[in-house]
Amino acid sequence: MIRGSAQVESVASEPRIGVYVCRCGGNISDVIDTEKVAETIKLVPGVRVSKVHSFMCSEPGQAMIAEDIKKEQLNRVVVASCSPFLHELTFRVAVRRGGLNPYLYEHVNIREQGSWAHHGDPEGATVKAIRLVAAAVHRLYHAEPLEQIRLPSHRRALVIGGGIAGLKAAVDLAAKGVGVVLVEREPELGGRVLGLARLFPTDDSGRAQIDRLVREVCNNPNIEVLTGTVIKGVSGFLGNYDIAVGPALAAGAAGVDVGGAKDKKLSVGAIIVATGHDYYRPSLGEYGFKRYTQVVTMPEFIDLLAGASGDGIQWNGQRIHRIGFMHCVGSRQIEGIHPPQGDGKVNDYCSRVCCTTVLHQAVHAKRRFPNLAVFDFHQDIRTYGRLHEDYYRRASEAGVIFFRFHGDDPPLVEEGVDGFPIQVRLKDWLTWGEEVVVPLDLLVLAVGMVARDNRELVNLLKLPTGADRFFQEVHPKLRPVETSVNGILLAGSAQAPMTIEETLASASAAASKAACLLAHDSVELEPFKARVDADKCIGCGLCFPECAYEGALVRTSVEREGKTVTLAKVNPGLCVGCGACVPVCPTRAIDLQGWTLNQFEAMVDGLLSAPLPSKEVTSESSSHGQTH
Amino acid sequence: MQGANFDVVVVGGGISGIQAALDLADQDHKVLLVERAASIGGKMISLSKTFPTLDCSSCITTPKMSAAFHHRNIQVWTSTEVERVESRDGVRKVHLRKHPTYVDNSLCIGCRLCEYACPVEYPDPFEEGLGAQRAIAVPFTNALPQKAVLNPRYCIACGACIKACPTDAVRFDQEEERLTVEAGAVVLTTGFVLNALELKREYNAARSANIISPLQLERLLAPHGPYGRVLRPSDGKVPGNVAFVLCAGSRDQSIGVPYCSRFCCMYSIKQAMLLSGALPTAELTIYYMDIRAFGKGHEQFYQNAKAMGIQFVKAKVASIEPVTGDDLSLRVELEEEGGRVAERRHDLVVLAQGAIPVFEPSKALNTPAAEDGFLRQPDPVRITWTGVEGVFAAGCALGPKDIVDSIVEAGAAAMEASRFLALRAAGGSPGKEPDQLTNPIET
Ligand SMILES: Cc1cc2nc3c(=O)[nH]c(=O)nc-3n(C[C@H](O)[C@H](O)[C@H](O)COP(=O)(O)OP(=O)(O)OC[C@H]3O[C@@H](n4cnc5c(N)ncnc54)[C@H](O)[C@@H]3O)c2cc1C
Ligand code: SF4
Ligand code: SF4
Repeated sequence: MIRGSAQVESVASEPRIGVYVCRCGGNISDVIDTEKVAETIKLVPGVRVSKVHSFMCSEPGQAMIAEDIKKEQLNRVVVASCSPFLHELTFRVAVRRGGLNPYLYEHVNIREQGSWAHHGDPEGATVKAIRLVAAAVHRLYHAEPLEQIRLPSHRRALVIGGGIAGLKAAVDLAAKGVGVVLVEREPELGGRVLGLARLFPTDDSGRAQIDRLVREVCNNPNIEVLTGTVIKGVSGFLGNYDIAVGPALAAGAAGVDVGGAKDKKLSVGAIIVATGHDYYRPSLGEYGFKRYTQVVTMPEFIDLLAGASGDGIQWNGQRIHRIGFMHCVGSRQIEGIHPPQGDGKVNDYCSRVCCTTVLHQAVHAKRRFPNLAVFDFHQDIRTYGRLHEDYYRRASEAGVIFFRFHGDDPPLVEEGVDGFPIQVRLKDWLTWGEEVVVPLDLLVLAVGMVARDNRELVNLLKLPTGADRFFQEVHPKLRPVETSVNGILLAGSAQAPMTIEETLASASAAASKAACLLAHDSVELEPFKARVDADKCIGCGLCFPECAYEGALVRTSVEREGKTVTLAKVNPGLCVGCGACVPVCPTRAIDLQGWTLNQFEAMVDGLLSAPLPSKEVTSESSSHGQTH
Repeated sequence: MQGANFDVVVVGGGISGIQAALDLADQDHKVLLVERAASIGGKMISLSKTFPTLDCSSCITTPKMSAAFHHRNIQVWTSTEVERVESRDGVRKVHLRKHPTYVDNSLCIGCRLCEYACPVEYPDPFEEGLGAQRAIAVPFTNALPQKAVLNPRYCIACGACIKACPTDAVRFDQEEERLTVEAGAVVLTTGFVLNALELKREYNAARSANIISPLQLERLLAPHGPYGRVLRPSDGKVPGNVAFVLCAGSRDQSIGVPYCSRFCCMYSIKQAMLLSGALPTAELTIYYMDIRAFGKGHEQFYQNAKAMGIQFVKAKVASIEPVTGDDLSLRVELEEEGGRVAERRHDLVVLAQGAIPVFEPSKALNTPAAEDGFLRQPDPVRITWTGVEGVFAAGCALGPKDIVDSIVEAGAAAMEASRFLALRAAGGSPGKEPDQLTNPIET
């Protein structure tokens, strides 16, 4: 079973491997005996250096690798630390700084898959770490230097969604000389913001901000605007996406297209998804919605207030004297208390903007109509942003009356008495949880933000969404506007609820990322792609049906002994490196660069032949029937 | 260095500055990143774990730090403070003060032999005063650059470091330098500081070592922190009953910070969670006015904390008094009980201090500050523009915000600065922006 040493001899250049075990400042070493891992791994053939450091990712840690490569003439490196997701790239770069090909590097995760997963079992975690590192060392016996694949790319981006996020991303990118195609489903640009009569914190109308951006968009020759248009097809990869667009069908009128939009093909290098959000739509009877005409949503109220004449707010021909604002409608929901949404989940997130919107509108209403009685029903007041707290203070000073409810006991909306159409009944936790009844003429539901139902787009782009149904970024801090699909970026409230300011920031950040990706006329892709050894390929074609990515495998004709034969060939741009083609090849002609079958076999050998600290593993080694 | 030219100078090497520099450099701009401390990394490098994902803060800061440090388009100058930025005639002049570190960085190899030789110890600023630091030392394990810095306030000039240094890098005679660099654009990412722990006199922080700042608790919770575990400062006892007082320096007109500091609710919840892991038997109480868990994943984080048994009490903490046994007595008005006053005893209290600006726009940029003291954001659709031609800002320099929001805004500022340079290069007049810009923050 233990063939490890025999394998080593078959490797052309004698491996000189450096192994570095990270304590992660205690995150790892509090559980795993990192010193023992480093000590034990020295016994694996080919390991020249084996060291421990508090933070391998820190400058001294990285510098140590680079130095050892030179001093000890290392030709392979292993770091055992956190998830490769965090630091694989860091160490590849460090290895390159030492003068070595960055793909002669292997990353072992002994934190997420070690110390954190097995914190109750230090010895077991230590043994596992040793085995994993040994496997990595064995894998490196067969590692070859690889080069990134450089492909020409289009210096042009597709922006999906012509709301404020899409408009902003488009003008930013265009200013950098990147061509932009802006696709909007509706006949008009502007999205949700267009419909908002008064925004915080500027007190502008939404239209003013949108008009300014639309003007910039229309005056910029680098931007092509396609309204009434939707995405019909997406293929390709970073730098080389092929997009099919076509007319959006007008709602309810199947087959009727909107405003002359046509079917069209586009070639772009990157895609910015700026499809925005929807307002939460209360269910029938939720806080009296649709049961009482005096219950309206916030967007309706903003219009109502903006349109109110000098002598007061009118609703349904009635003059409004007492108005209430209900926070968190469709947000901060609790399982078991609130009915689930269509997908069986509740909206357990905070919608972020509604508290400030309520108080901004309340202050404005009180300023216009000082005699209006205003009541606010909240759990917490979340006026976190710049100037937002000011609305809270001004609302209190203007006499807005606040009530606080607990999320697990939401207020009830009932038919009113004494001439009031409705009333709100709640336990008010600003007064001992006393039950109070507040008669009202109008109740405004501060409806939260929900993800748009974008199933088609999600499928076309193959984008992940979170439990909250919004698009999911790769990592909230390391890569906050990127998705797991290379070259597809997120802008605005398609990602999560956010204010207009925050949406603009995210749009510019996405534009910046796109500008970075498309800074040159080529892009670089990781080399982990399938490769066909033309000498071994017999042209049987068995691999073709296994490949799920159109165009990744192509047929190519070559002359062999005077005859023309058809062989398989890989298009590295479209190959995702899944390896599905590898096992069906009868001649082992097709293999995955960086993840060859030889390497997998060697890893298994490494796992099984790992030298283990004898004391701790007697029981385990006997159970495996291993003898040393 | 004098008279050097850059496309962009980024002022402040916290996470915002690092991200802005990276975005600009990846778009082929030549960037100078200036940091007044001896290492880049800002507040984030000293945090324990970060909400709401609880990932290890150093682990996600160091890759960005090192990416910026080694980027071919970025120069990093540490121990260098930006004093003033001038924007005139289409050029940005950045006036810098290079503080002496008493070590020649071109010679120092970061071996720390000087540090080991130095006989003087003083309260370690990186550990928020909780651990000890030598008068000459590499600032902390993952500092970047890894160069020794001498603190003249504590140095006794014994010369031990000079003898110990293998490369003769120590320079007792190093002097402060003043220099000016020119740039096409400037991005201000100068961040925030916390207001004084003693600011609210009724909290008596000056009278008890067990009233601590949240940054101190970050260090206590860090896996590689000063004691390696959580102990209270006065007597090294393991705390058993910890109070978090929210808004203890924010949302309070009387101390000049009427605004919300935005991240303190969340970091307090995070700290309570981490404490409950470190000290499973400890009682943990958060006294709050409103819990502002508004970001992506934050509300869920808050609900998890409640489910873990952390107590959330809606109350105003009127005063804190030291009592016997180094404990503290909190006088709280329980808002859910109509303001009933109760006395609560705790053995460690953390005050969520307010976040205030470090950069003074009126002095350093010749432009008025917004009402909250931070830089202005006069243009509603170019929110990272400061109102001064070619000068942009991001992160906590535009008011407190968490790491995610700071990083996103940094990308936006980089975009805006790059766009400004592109328009200028194309002969456009990027400075010509709408004349009459409303400034909501000032009104
Ligand atoms: C106790 C505590 C815990 C926190 N926990 C979390 C958390 O878990 N998750 C989260 O998302 N956020 C958290 N935060 C918030 C986080 O610290 C900030 O979001 C982040 O630090 C902002 O980065 P910044 O770069 O804008 O500012 P800073 O980190 O303040 O960086 C600014 C940098 O600029 C430098 N500088 C200032 N002026 C000058 C000058 N004139 N010349 C040169 N350099 C200058 C400073 O030295 C500093 O290095 C926490 C904050 C605190 C106080
Ligand atoms: S912002 Fe306010 S109203 Fe909106 S969900 Fe959050 S707490 Fe509720
Ligand atoms: S974030 Fe929370 S603790 Fe901080 S000032 Fe705002 S409300 Fe107070």
